[in-house]
Amino acid sequence: MAAVEQVGSAGLAGRRAPVHGVVSRVVGYATMIVVVFLIGLPLLWLVSAAFKETSEIYVVPASWIPHNPILSNFPNAWNAAPFGRYYVNTIFVTVVSVIGKLIMASTTAYALVALRFPFKTFVFALILGALMIPAQVVVVPNYLLFADLGLINTFPALIIPHIPTAVGTFLMRQAFLALPREILDAARVDGAGHLRTLWTIMLPLSLPVLVTFGLLATQDVWNDFLWPLIITNTENMRTLPIGISRLLDQEGNTQWGVVMAGAIYVIAPLLIVFIWAQRHIVEGIAAGAVKG
Amino acid sequence: MHRITRRNLLGIMAGTAGLALMSACGGSQPAAKPAETKPAEAAKPTAAPAAPAAQPAATSAPAAAAKPTEAAKPAAQAPATVAATGSQVKVTLWSSFTGVNGDAQTAMVDRFNQSQKDVVVENQFQGSYEETGQKLTAALQAKQAPDISILSDVWWFKFYLNKAIIPLDDLLKANNVDKADYVDAFVNEGTRKGQLMWLPFARSTPLFYYNKDAWKDAGLPDRGPETYMELAEWGPKLTKADGSRYGLAHSGAGGYIEWSFQSVVWGWGGQYSDDNFQVKIAEKPAVDAGEWLRKSVVDGWAKSPQNADNDFRGGIASAMIASTGGLPGHEAAAKFPVGTAFLPKGPVAFGCPTGGAGLGILASVPKEKQEAAFKYAAFATSPEQTAIWAQATGYMPVRKSAIEGAAMKDFYAKKPNFQTAGKQLAMVRGQDVARVFVPNGQQILLKGLDRITVNKEASETVMKDIAGQLQKECDTVKKQVQAIEG
Amino acid sequence: MAQVVGTPGPSRLQREWREWLLFVALAGPNVLMFIIFNYRPLLYNAYLSFHSWDFLSPVVIPVGLDNYVDVLTDPHFHRVVQNTVILMVGGVCLTIVIGMALALLLNQKLAGRDAARSVMFAPYMLSGAAIAVVWVYIFDPTYGLLRTVISPLGLIPPNWLRDQFWAMPAVIIVYTWKNLGYTMVICLAGLQAIPKELYEAATTDGANAWHRFRHVTIPGLAPITFFLLVTGILASFQTFDLIHVLTRGGPVDATSTLVYYLYEQGFIAFKAGNAGVAAVLQFIVLFIITLIQIRYLERRVTYAA
Repeated sequence: MAAVEQVGSAGLAGRRAPVHGVVSRVVGYATMIVVVFLIGLPLLWLVSAAFKETSEIYVVPASWIPHNPILSNFPNAWNAAPFGRYYVNTIFVTVVSVIGKLIMASTTAYALVALRFPFKTFVFALILGALMIPAQVVVVPNYLLFADLGLINTFPALIIPHIPTAVGTFLMRQAFLALPREILDAARVDGAGHLRTLWTIMLPLSLPVLVTFGLLATQDVWNDFLWPLIITNTENMRTLPIGISRLLDQEGNTQWGVVMAGAIYVIAPLLIVFIWAQRHIVEGIAAGAVKG
Repeated sequence: MHRITRRNLLGIMAGTAGLALMSACGGSQPAAKPAETKPAEAAKPTAAPAAPAAQPAATSAPAAAAKPTEAAKPAAQAPATVAATGSQVKVTLWSSFTGVNGDAQTAMVDRFNQSQKDVVVENQFQGSYEETGQKLTAALQAKQAPDISILSDVWWFKFYLNKAIIPLDDLLKANNVDKADYVDAFVNEGTRKGQLMWLPFARSTPLFYYNKDAWKDAGLPDRGPETYMELAEWGPKLTKADGSRYGLAHSGAGGYIEWSFQSVVWGWGGQYSDDNFQVKIAEKPAVDAGEWLRKSVVDGWAKSPQNADNDFRGGIASAMIASTGGLPGHEAAAKFPVGTAFLPKGPVAFGCPTGGAGLGILASVPKEKQEAAFKYAAFATSPEQTAIWAQATGYMPVRKSAIEGAAMKDFYAKKPNFQTAGKQLAMVRGQDVARVFVPNGQQILLKGLDRITVNKEASETVMKDIAGQLQKECDTVKKQVQAIEG
Repeated sequence: MAQVVGTPGPSRLQREWREWLLFVALAGPNVLMFIIFNYRPLLYNAYLSFHSWDFLSPVVIPVGLDNYVDVLTDPHFHRVVQNTVILMVGGVCLTIVIGMALALLLNQKLAGRDAARSVMFAPYMLSGAAIAVVWVYIFDPTYGLLRTVISPLGLIPPNWLRDQFWAMPAVIIVYTWKNLGYTMVICLAGLQAIPKELYEAATTDGANAWHRFRHVTIPGLAPITFFLLVTGILASFQTFDLIHVLTRGGPVDATSTLVYYLYEQGFIAFKAGNAGVAAVLQFIVLFIITLIQIRYLERRVTYAA
């Protein structure tokens, strides 16, 4: 079919046929503004709280712009715990884990889609089954396992449990399944082996999904709290979410402004990555940069 | 070519799988058969470098001159003792303090390390009291426990029951520490069968906080209420019809209301439980205390908010009963003058529970480490140091001589609110076992009190319910206690 | 090594064996790691579910099915199950419906679209403690933002997080707010992966916007929707952080879900047996639900072009 030849431009940033009329666009803008307002208002309050003294945070009526804005929450948060070290650790752990996850997701999903082998559904169910086991069930046994291996408080311990992925496998499987069958057949006719098909055809066509999964995986590893807490003992191995817990106080002394500043430290890189990925990768696809 | 590549890949995979399977089999499991002492150790194919001799029994490890084996990996088995005298002993301390308290803890450890050369303490923050206790439990299973750890009032007993912490009396004597100088209530709570197991360090009590501006506005005298009944009279005066202010904030979710409520129950002459693990909360005095609690909410002058601190600091709640540990934060954050007072009395008596955390030394580490760890514990709870600690944090000094000493007297003179807490210390009482010695006790009590303050259920029904649950748990703990105490 | 067409290929047995080996190579590591880091703990918990243990004592007592009986007859547990179902239904429906709507909305070329997407995704990236700080404030009955909105309408806001009835809706609201970004972003990816040619072909066939939506977009999104449904249900069962920072499972047990119950039993009450029971029950229930979804839904949802 003609569709096969132009397959390279698939995945464009949702350019449907032209929307009809001004009405549609006005409605679009109005809705967008309302939704951004509803979702963004709490965020705005959060950000403004980082610039307030504790006494100004929980007041009546709510103050959006701080009356006495202060900057000291940021250095206070930074100094309350070794955030510099946390950044280094978190970045390293996240990058390695996410690369691992991307590889696992792609190869596993490919196997599930392109290969024929017995018990395929069972294997798929087994992988999905991992999502049915909450973190609280696995942390202590895994801690004991790593203790036996002598890997407490090390990077391998932080990274390895993050590498297997069920969500990624599932997502990529759906993406691969949505590709027209002709493509795979054409590739086979052309003599491409499995790995080449995966790498040169299927992944590029599913790039938006892969990138999306990469973003989700990044968020997931970056914000993981329970496992790093239990597997690390010393500050030089810890990650950013633990930094936040260093700012909380169980006796009632918590300074919420400082906590907010800390939260901003944690989320800022994620936000930057998200914006960058959306802009460069997604739009790169839209510009037809990827050929089949 | 591809075929060869895939075969290589396959080989690597198989190898990895094999290794992984081996390590999976080597994970430690709890002993399946009842054993009197330690759990049986599963085979550990990859933990070999740690010397077998490094698994010490509590008292039988040789004190010195052991083989100088070093653990190959920094965090593996408890390292064997270091041979030569005069060399430094490294001690690992697990602590739970954040923010200003965390800084004070770091400073304390630094001062200790600089004050002498024999022992070097490494302070490792492990999360909140709860998280530290949970990590310690896991660490003991994994044989990764530290030498000494902060243990809160509701956590230490569990480790005592499992013989994970050692008695401290011999060490106290050997180091010439004056045990009698410690605040009696603190010592008594941590003593079982005449032996001190839990050394008081960061102790607190509940305190009655009030908003002096709101008090003035309602025409109340500038003092705390004498009794809970008087508080019930003042509450409505403080409560505004438009809801912008109310009288008393009960500690809500995660706020330990079941801790401060002991004061109310004791005030009515009751208790959660007696020392023999008999639950008493369904008896009339405790039920009456519960009714007071319920009425406070039903009559509208008290609430159980999500966060009492926020309500108080924001001027919404005019008063609250909360830990002395939060005093520095409240004074700093409130925009009104903060008043403090003793807890109110009940119709029968005054009751103020203790709280906070102490230090426990782990049984699973070599004797030399225990002795070194104790040196730190003695330092941290010495009169000079406990005074410094009390001034830097909101916790109370744990030594009588410190309370009487010049440093604290000066401090109290400058900070009258802290003095209130200090004076109340003379009247404290150890907590009821149902809360502190029963792992699930806190939760059961908290949920019960939530039923009263949030759902406004009748006290008698609720107390009867939780008494049933509590007694079941208490009986289990009692059996464990009898097993080790006889 | 690829086979050139025309050469006699390997026997069928060889081909199957090779496919199996390939599967092991491609999917093996993933599966193996899951077995080690997820299933082994589950089996361990299953073992514990038949014993009585407090995680510290050297004594582990086999008790047969006693733990199962205790848990299943506990009225508190019934409330837990109820809460879990409510969170699942409310959370999944809201996040999928609203998330998908947002994706469709933000797929058009609107100015400021990237910024809007970032705003909507941001809650998903926030840590639990930060979320609690703002939502405790929003829900506060005295000075909260919600009160500012509701009271002009003459209504009295409930004490959301401290109310037996309203605590769960509050949790669902926060859950939706947080997870919208997730569903939106995935739907966006799905939308962008729909080949443009399909739309063009439909237009040349004379389809209008609604028809294109109905016959290209919706089927094109079907695999993604299926994915969101399956993973959404699973994720709702694992939600712990939100509940822990907002309500601690309270008041009383109004917001305790299965995973929170597991946490309480395992990490607070130290009842390894009960925690094991919760883990096993959760797994079985989720497995059945997911299996049903895969078996019956997917067939109707996946299309081969």
